[in-house]
Amino acid sequence: MATPTVSKSILDSDNIRYDASARTRWRLGFDRVIGWLLPLLFVVAIAPILSLVYYISARAIPSLSWQVITSTSPYQTDAMGVPIIGTFELMLLATSIAVLLGLFGGIATAEFLSERTAGWVRMSANLLVGTPSVIVGYFGYFTFVIFFGWSLSLLAGTITLAFFMTPYVFRTADLAFTSVPSHIREAALGSGARPYQYILRVGTPIAFPQILTGIFLAMAIGVGETAPIVLTTAGGKIPPQTLFSPVSWMSSLIWQNFAQAPSTGLPTIAFQAAFLLLVVVVSLNVVVRIISSRYRRRLEGLYA
Amino acid sequence: MSSPDPSTPEVREPLPASGPEETGSTPQSARSFLARIVPLVPALIPLGIMVAIVIALVAETGFTNFGIEFFSLHWDPVNNQWGIGVFLLGSLITAVPALIFSMLIGLGIAIASTTYLPRFLSQWLDPFVDLLAGIPSVVYGIWAFIIVAPYFGSQLEPWMVMNLHFIPGFGGPINTSGLGILISVFILTLMALPITTLLIRDALRSVPRDLWESGLALGATRWEVVRRVAIPHGRRGIFSAAFLGFGRAFGETVAVAMIIGTATVLPKNVYDIGNTMAAQMFELLDSAIGGTGSPQFLAAIAEMALVLLGISLIVNILGRRLISSLYTQQIQGL
Repeated sequence: MATPTVSKSILDSDNIRYDASARTRWRLGFDRVIGWLLPLLFVVAIAPILSLVYYISARAIPSLSWQVITSTSPYQTDAMGVPIIGTFELMLLATSIAVLLGLFGGIATAEFLSERTAGWVRMSANLLVGTPSVIVGYFGYFTFVIFFGWSLSLLAGTITLAFFMTPYVFRTADLAFTSVPSHIREAALGSGARPYQYILRVGTPIAFPQILTGIFLAMAIGVGETAPIVLTTAGGKIPPQTLFSPVSWMSSLIWQNFAQAPSTGLPTIAFQAAFLLLVVVVSLNVVVRIISSRYRRRLEGLYA
Repeated sequence: MSSPDPSTPEVREPLPASGPEETGSTPQSARSFLARIVPLVPALIPLGIMVAIVIALVAETGFTNFGIEFFSLHWDPVNNQWGIGVFLLGSLITAVPALIFSMLIGLGIAIASTTYLPRFLSQWLDPFVDLLAGIPSVVYGIWAFIIVAPYFGSQLEPWMVMNLHFIPGFGGPINTSGLGILISVFILTLMALPITTLLIRDALRSVPRDLWESGLALGATRWEVVRRVAIPHGRRGIFSAAFLGFGRAFGETVAVAMIIGTATVLPKNVYDIGNTMAAQMFELLDSAIGGTGSPQFLAAIAEMALVLLGISLIVNILGRRLISSLYTQQIQGL
């Protein structure tokens, strides 16, 4: 009967406090205070996002309607159709090229290069990601628009944007193929698979979800880029007819209209474009998150 | 077969590019050489793009030698003066404070998320910070220009002048639009924050559990373990966060071009308008498109681009070399 009382008295907070010196109390108290203060820093990161999303939606939604989004009259304050089509076409072309280049490059780097050479290639991909976007735009302008003489066109914008997006696809493809478990890789090769058989039938199914996240990520980054496109395309009033036609692009729309006088109604266009961009980018990011969480579960199953 | 242990990198033999040798068909040397080389070509794509960019920039300079004058503070195209000093300094005085703020906040958030917050909370909060990286810079720009700048100009900056005027550079006068250095630092802090937070978080997570728990078992508080064990252990990752965060803030173009005010002289205080290299390049190119500038004008832009690219590359190389794994992180924009 007496035992519970004894153990209770040992756990009693009074006993611990008896033990604690002033210094220990200070240490424990400091730890507790820091533990409450540091999480408050999340507010610094999250409050701006909420503010941004709220204000941009508040400025864009009242004037936005299905009719505004689909109307393809030469764009005025009430027609977003042309820039939406332009963005869609440019993204489609640029993504296809970036996927082609990035996928082949990533697979070749992961599977055929020695560690040493692959290190150089990976470093250059990382550096491309770190290159300021204005430099890529400048490169596109002087190489494609001036030197190749493509003028400010869909084609020049496509290739420039594709170059900008390629390293993102490349890095995920490389990582996806490198992280195929080596016992699976060796089992395939050991049972006589040719390199291309291994890549197509073993590597690709395992790496596919991660490659998909890389493609969506590249699209999310590409669709929001402004400098490379502003410097290589001109805003067209109609959807592009040929590869050399001018094309209008959502984020250039923001850049061109954000500082106009409110009476012209042009800042409203900028807000509508910003809102649509935000919707696209956030949903792409959510998709990436969903795929990668599923993928992680699948990979764990594979390791077991 | 045991599951791969992430701490000991396994040796991965590259695939034989030509496949297993076929016996029987004799004239193989030429074919197998081709078969060996062709699969390697796509791997050169990122390297090729990088080299192409550098070659194009160098070619565009026309090897014009501006001499030491190029770093002077006089940018005056009309009078043929091509000093980029104002823009170089402008990039530094916006990127460095932004980096310091985002490192401090990022460190705090990373410690909170790895050490103090319960798992389910940090799982919900971390994606918000990562989302900061996904928001396009032009969207940051319009938000800052129309929503934040008026608040800065009418509320925050008068308050700062009143209360902080004893610090040199904080004494005013202010411009009521709110555009300038201060708001650029604010936006750049936000844009660098996801990178620094993510890399520091990864660095702290990579501290072995043994170390963490031995510290706690010895009677250290969580804060003491973080300060004495986790941060020293993850210092490479933390330094790389600083370099890559700086690279992001230094090279940011469109958002800064929208809010910094494109001045061609040095700002007089923190509320004044200024300029950065990336923003100035973008403005110049955007207005020069269609027309043709003088050869010197074009050469000046190209050499400014080379300086910008050079600094970005150095910072990124330093940052990347500190990260040991293949690609430590897979976040947007990094």
